[in-house]
Amino acid sequence: MIRVRQLQKVYRVGEEEIHALRGVDLHIGKNEMVAVMGASGSGKSTLMNIIGCLDKPTDGSYELDGQRVAQMSEASLALVRNEKIGFVFQSFELLARQTALENVELPLIYSREAGLTSRERERRALRALDRVRLSDRVTHRPNQLSGGQKQRVAIARAILNQPAILMADEPTGNLDSVTTNEVMEIFRQLHAEGQTVLIVTHENEVAAYCQRVIRLRDGLVLSDLPIAQDQAGQVIA
Amino acid sequence: MILSPYFYSQAIKLALSQIWANRKRSLLTALGIIVGVASTTSVIAALSGLKTSVLTEFESFGANRIYLFPNRPDDKPRNLYPREKIRIKPWEVLELQTSCPSLRAITPVTEFGVSIASEGRELDGITVVGIWPDWHEAENRRVIDGRIFNRIDESGERQVCLLNQSAIDELRLPANAVGSHILVDGRRFLVVGIVETLQSRMFGGDSNTAEIFIPFSVAIKLQSTDYFIRVVALAKSADVSEEAKAEIQRTMRRIRGIQPGDPDTFRAEAIDRYIDQFKSLASGITAIAAGIVGISLLVGGIGIMNIMLVSVSERTREIGLRKAVGATPAAIMMQFLLEAMVLCLAGGLVGVIIGKLFAVGLTMIPGARLEHADVPLWAVFLSFAFSAAVGLGFGFFPALKASRLDPIEALRHE
Repeated sequence: MIRVRQLQKVYRVGEEEIHALRGVDLHIGKNEMVAVMGASGSGKSTLMNIIGCLDKPTDGSYELDGQRVAQMSEASLALVRNEKIGFVFQSFELLARQTALENVELPLIYSREAGLTSRERERRALRALDRVRLSDRVTHRPNQLSGGQKQRVAIARAILNQPAILMADEPTGNLDSVTTNEVMEIFRQLHAEGQTVLIVTHENEVAAYCQRVIRLRDGLVLSDLPIAQDQAGQVIA
Repeated sequence: MILSPYFYSQAIKLALSQIWANRKRSLLTALGIIVGVASTTSVIAALSGLKTSVLTEFESFGANRIYLFPNRPDDKPRNLYPREKIRIKPWEVLELQTSCPSLRAITPVTEFGVSIASEGRELDGITVVGIWPDWHEAENRRVIDGRIFNRIDESGERQVCLLNQSAIDELRLPANAVGSHILVDGRRFLVVGIVETLQSRMFGGDSNTAEIFIPFSVAIKLQSTDYFIRVVALAKSADVSEEAKAEIQRTMRRIRGIQPGDPDTFRAEAIDRYIDQFKSLASGITAIAAGIVGISLLVGGIGIMNIMLVSVSERTREIGLRKAVGATPAAIMMQFLLEAMVLCLAGGLVGVIIGKLFAVGLTMIPGARLEHADVPLWAVFLSFAFSAAVGLGFGFFPALKASRLDPIEALRHE
């Protein structure tokens, strides 16, 4: 599903060169649920941005769902994001004046599929809302929803186009422990239904929902272990 | 990259909801456009109203009328072209009458001031006009009582006259004045008819002026040797009025023996020319109005650009999100261009409505001759086209800025 080889990313800040990624190799298979962890400055955000097709690597290759995307144009990358990637952000990023349904329909505005009827768009959006168990909040606006419900609307938006990977960046960072569980249960359920999920987090409780944990440090993969071994290692450390 | 119809419908819906959500700001922003469009459309409405009234008046006045005046060529010394040489003589008018087949009617007109007396009154310095019978047709003025002059009046130099109602009033003649006598320069003239009052407010001025007409031959005789003749002619139709004018010019040059290359010693003018002059004046004013709108739209456009830059900056995170879910730079650009255009078009719409209301107000000003004032359809289209162009032109830079935002940076924006 995701195959990354010798990925490098160099930022140039004035005279100084910052090596955010120094050669990352990674393979994530279909229907895996993976946590990516690391301190700030570890290169975790850069890696996620490149995997999410929001950024391009300086060097190395990246194959997503059989497509080589590392050197694509900006417009082509937008299309890849539209069709293959679903994003969930820490602060939800819902449009305040639009209903839950309209927020979920958003990716269809930029879809390549021409001639979708409004009924078909609504059917898809309602199905996505149903999968995050929000069928009863369709016409609510973000200010009428709780934090957990907002994040579930955002998840529904992310899975609308049945993406190859669902990427979540600190999805529970703005939530309390009860709603964190509520949202993580949704991720677990989607994974159970066959969705490939990639979660960036610094909380072990969140990582515990995943099967596999990738830890980064200084732009390199520090460890890549199944959850049980990783958690055991953490306890020892 | 082709954007779907759904994209466009959503973008326009979003633009409208943005305008509505920030209605005060939108109104203030669009004010420049509103004022510009409203002022231009009302000026155009006033002009087109004026044009309609004036052209209607020209029409009733007769578009196929031609005037002939004596005229000293420009920049020529007076001694080369003395008054006697350029003066129109009675025989020249007779020659024109036989040599110009495109004319329906032709009459010389000579005016001079004399004293007039009736039994009731004596008036000094009244203008008496000498005419041929053709004058009624050429000037489109009928008699409402009595008869017009006939050939015997003209050839026999009979002392008969026509009056208008004002002359009857001023001379204190009986209401049925036909058959009365008046004294013109001491000679007794019989009133044979009453001429209808001038209809036009624009030409011939005041309908209250006393008018006295006598046969042309008599008028020439009364003025001794110093007389002034102008000619009024009527072409067979408006279509041949240019041709008729050319015939008059050719004939005059021939009978005056003017060599090729030498200037005319007369001036022939068709009414068309006045219409053209008026039309070019009106289009000149319209062009100035268009220039003014250009300036106000420029000012309005700068306001639009400013507010669009504010909007892009306020909605940076939204732009980041849209890019993350698959919006291409072109889609973001198009969305912001559409927003600027919708804002400008909304301003244009309000401006046109205000202009229309102004036009209605103009028609109600008494005596302003603007009863036909209305915003023509082309002005409405032009207003919208200009508004859209301003949106496009001044929305471009903010839209470009939005489209170039890095989605990662945009989503991090506070």
